Amino acid sequence: MYRRSFIKTLVGGAALLGLGQALGRGPGLTAALAQDYPDLVAIKGADITVMFDQALTALGGLGRFVTKGQKVLIKPNMGWAVEPRRAANTSPELLAHLVKRVKELGASKISVFDNTCDNWKSAYSTSGLEEAASKAGALVAPANSEKYFQKITIPGQSKLGQTAYHELYLEADVIINLPVLKHHGGAKMTAALKNLMGAIWDRSDLHWGGLDQCIPELMLYKKPNLNIVEAQRVMLNGGPRGYGDSQYLAANMLLASADPVAVDAASYRLLAESGIREPGYIAQAASLGLGQSDLSLIKVQRLTV
Amino acid sequence: MKSKNPMKKYLFLRRFIAWALFILLLVSFHRLDIFHKVIQYLPKIQFGQSMAGFFSQGALSASLIFLSLALLTVIFGRFFCGFICPLGAFMDLTIFIGSKIKPAPFSFKPNTFYRLIIPALLLLAFWLGLAFPYNYFEPYSLLVSGHGLLLIIIILALLKGRVFCDVLCPPGLLLKLLSGSGLFGLKFKQNSCLSCGACQRVCPTSCLNSSAKSLDRGRCLLCLECAAVCPNGSMTYGLITRPPAGRRHFLKLASAGALAAGAYLTSPELRVRTFGQAPPAPILPPGALSLAHLNAHCSLCHTCVSACPNGAIQPSHSLVPVLTAKPLIEPYQGFCQYDCLICGQVCPTGALRPLSLEAKRLTRLGLAQLNRPECLVIKNRTSCGACAELCPTGSVRMAPGPSGQDEPTMNTDFCIGCGACQKACPVRPIAAIVVAGLTIQQTAKAPLTLETPDLSLSEDFPF
Repeated sequence: MYRRSFIKTLVGGAALLGLGQALGRGPGLTAALAQDYPDLVAIKGADITVMFDQALTALGGLGRFVTKGQKVLIKPNMGWAVEPRRAANTSPELLAHLVKRVKELGASKISVFDNTCDNWKSAYSTSGLEEAASKAGALVAPANSEKYFQKITIPGQSKLGQTAYHELYLEADVIINLPVLKHHGGAKMTAALKNLMGAIWDRSDLHWGGLDQCIPELMLYKKPNLNIVEAQRVMLNGGPRGYGDSQYLAANMLLASADPVAVDAASYRLLAESGIREPGYIAQAASLGLGQSDLSLIKVQRLTV
Repeated sequence: MKSKNPMKKYLFLRRFIAWALFILLLVSFHRLDIFHKVIQYLPKIQFGQSMAGFFSQGALSASLIFLSLALLTVIFGRFFCGFICPLGAFMDLTIFIGSKIKPAPFSFKPNTFYRLIIPALLLLAFWLGLAFPYNYFEPYSLLVSGHGLLLIIIILALLKGRVFCDVLCPPGLLLKLLSGSGLFGLKFKQNSCLSCGACQRVCPTSCLNSSAKSLDRGRCLLCLECAAVCPNGSMTYGLITRPPAGRRHFLKLASAGALAAGAYLTSPELRVRTFGQAPPAPILPPGALSLAHLNAHCSLCHTCVSACPNGAIQPSHSLVPVLTAKPLIEPYQGFCQYDCLICGQVCPTGALRPLSLEAKRLTRLGLAQLNRPECLVIKNRTSCGACAELCPTGSVRMAPGPSGQDEPTMNTDFCIGCGACQKACPVRPIAAIVVAGLTIQQTAKAPLTLETPDLSLSEDFPF
C-alpha cells in the first residue's frame, strides 16, 4: 500500500512538474507555435487606423492577443492637458480604433486610464482621449486617487521593492500598452517601457531610485501582452509635455510588438538622429530578461503602405 | 383653531427654502464635481459676501446684489436672515432640534446700544483693511471655513436663540439698521392679541414684547415662528402704518447713507495705507493682482479653496494679519493648472479677477528657484527631470549643465510660478526647486513658439 501510494505521488509529482515546465515556458511555446509571425512590425506611410490594421494582420491578428470574454486594459498616454496636435498624448483616433477592434473580438470589459501629470479631468478632456474611448465603448476610469491602487511587491531583487498598481491593471486579463513616442527630458524617451509610469500611483519613488533602473522593474510583476507605439508626429525636444517651441519629426509610423524592449529599441532609433541620448532603461530592461534589445536577433517586419 | 393659522404654512415655506439652501451648500462642498455651478452662485447671493465686494469695489455683480438686497430689506425687512442665510438655517435647525428636547426658552430683551458694539467694531476693522476678523464672523465664511466658532454658535443657539444675528453678525448690523423702520413687517393685531406670551417664548432674537404688543423690527429676522405659534392668529405680516416719519428719522437715514458712501469711496486705498505690503512672499492665486488687492477684496469665503480642482489653493496658516486665512497657493498640496480658470470664476467679491485663458497663462504668481546642491540629478547623478517634465512654459528644461549631464536649467523669463516643478520634485521636506511668490503679480514673457516644419527621417526605417 505504501509503495503504491508512493509511486502514485511520484507519478503525479512528475506530471505536475512537466506541466509546470510547459506553463513556465508559455511564451516560448507560443513563440514556437507562432514562429511564422514577426517579433516586431514597423509600418509607415498611411492613415493611423490603416497602419494599425495592417500591422496587426502582420503580427497574426489582434485575436492572437485578445479572446472573447476577457477583461482588456488599454493604457494610452493621456497624462497631459494639451490638444492632440501637440502629440504629447496618444492619438484619440488610434485609441478609438483599438477599442473598436477589441470590442469586435468580444472582450467583456475594456478599460482605459492614466495617472495623469496635469489635473486629470483637464488631461482626460483636453487630450480628446476620454471622449474618443468612451464613444468607442471603453470604460474610461479615474486614476487620480490612491484608493484605486493596490500595493504589490515586485518579484526578485528590485530597487523599488514595492509599488502600487491601478486595480484595473491588476484585474486585466490582457494589457495593451498604447504609448505615443516622444522625447522625455528626464528619461530621454517615452515609449512602451516608460508608459507604465502612468499605471502606478507614486512616481516619485522612481525619481528617487533613478529612472533607468526603476522603469523596467514596473514590468517585472505583470507585463503588457502587446505594445503599440504611435510614432506619427514625434516630439524631439521639450518632452514629455512639449513646449511651444518643440521640434517634431514627421515619422508617420506605428510599431507593434509583444516585446516591450524590442519596440523601445526600435523606437529609439527614430530619436537617435536628432542626437537624443539612448535611455539607459532599454539595456537595463534587456538585462532583466524583459525582452530583446538587439534588433538583429529578432524577426523585424518593415512595411510601407 | 390652532391648525387654521394661515401663518403656519409660511413658516414651513420659509424653513423649506432656508434649510434646502443650507443642505445644498453642504452637499455642493462635498461633491464639487457635480455642483461646481451651484457653488458659484451661493456665495454671490450672500449679503455679507456681496457687501464685502461692494465696499472693496470688487465685482460689479457683487455691488448690484448688495444694493438690491439692501433695497429689498428696507421694503420687506430682514428676509435674508430668515430665508437665505445658511448660518441662520444652521442655527434654526439647532434650535428646532433643541426645542424637540426642551421647549424653546426664549424671552423678550429690550434693545440696547451695547448690542451693536461688536459688529460695529468688526465693520470698522473691515473698512480699515483688517478683513479677517470680519470674515470670522461673516455668516457664510464662518460656516464654510467651519472653525471653532461654530461650536460656540451651537451652544448660543440652544441657550439664547439667534443672538448671533443681533450681537455678533457684522452684515447683520447693517441689515438691522436698514430694516428698523422698513415698509413691511410683522405686527400685532392690537385688538385680538391676548398677550399670552406664546410668541415671545419662541422668538429666537428676543425682539417681541407680548405684554406691550410691540416688536423691534430691526432685530426681527422674519423667521415667522411667532406668527405660526400664535393661538388666534394675532401676528400678521403687512404694511406698517405709522405716523409720518419725522425730520429726525430722515436725518438718521441721510447720515447713514453718507457714511456708507464715504466708506465705499475711501475703503480700498485706506486699507493699503493702513496695512501696506506684507513682509513674506506668498503665492497669490491667479487674478489676485497684488497682495494689497487681495487684502482689500477677499472676504475669506474660501470658495476658491473648495473649487480649486488641484487643491492648490489653501487657507494660509500665517500669523501675519494680512495673510491669515487668505487663500494662497501651496505647491506642495497642488500646483496651479496651466489652463484652469476656476478660482477667478467662482470668486464672489472680485478679489480674484476672472481672467481670460491667454492672460492666465502669462500671469506670473512667483518665480521658481533651483537649489542645485539638493537636486537629485546633481547630487545622486541619476536621471530625474520631474520638474522639467511638468513645466508648462519651458522655463525649466533638462540640458547639459556644469554637472556634466542633463540637469534642470532655468530660464525664468517664462516662469509663471505655477508650482508644478515644486510639486513634482521628489526631494522632501523642502523641494530642490521652490517657487518664491510675488506680492504684485507680473506678466511673464510668452513661451517661445517654433514655426519650422517637422523634420523627416533620412531613411525609411532607421533600424
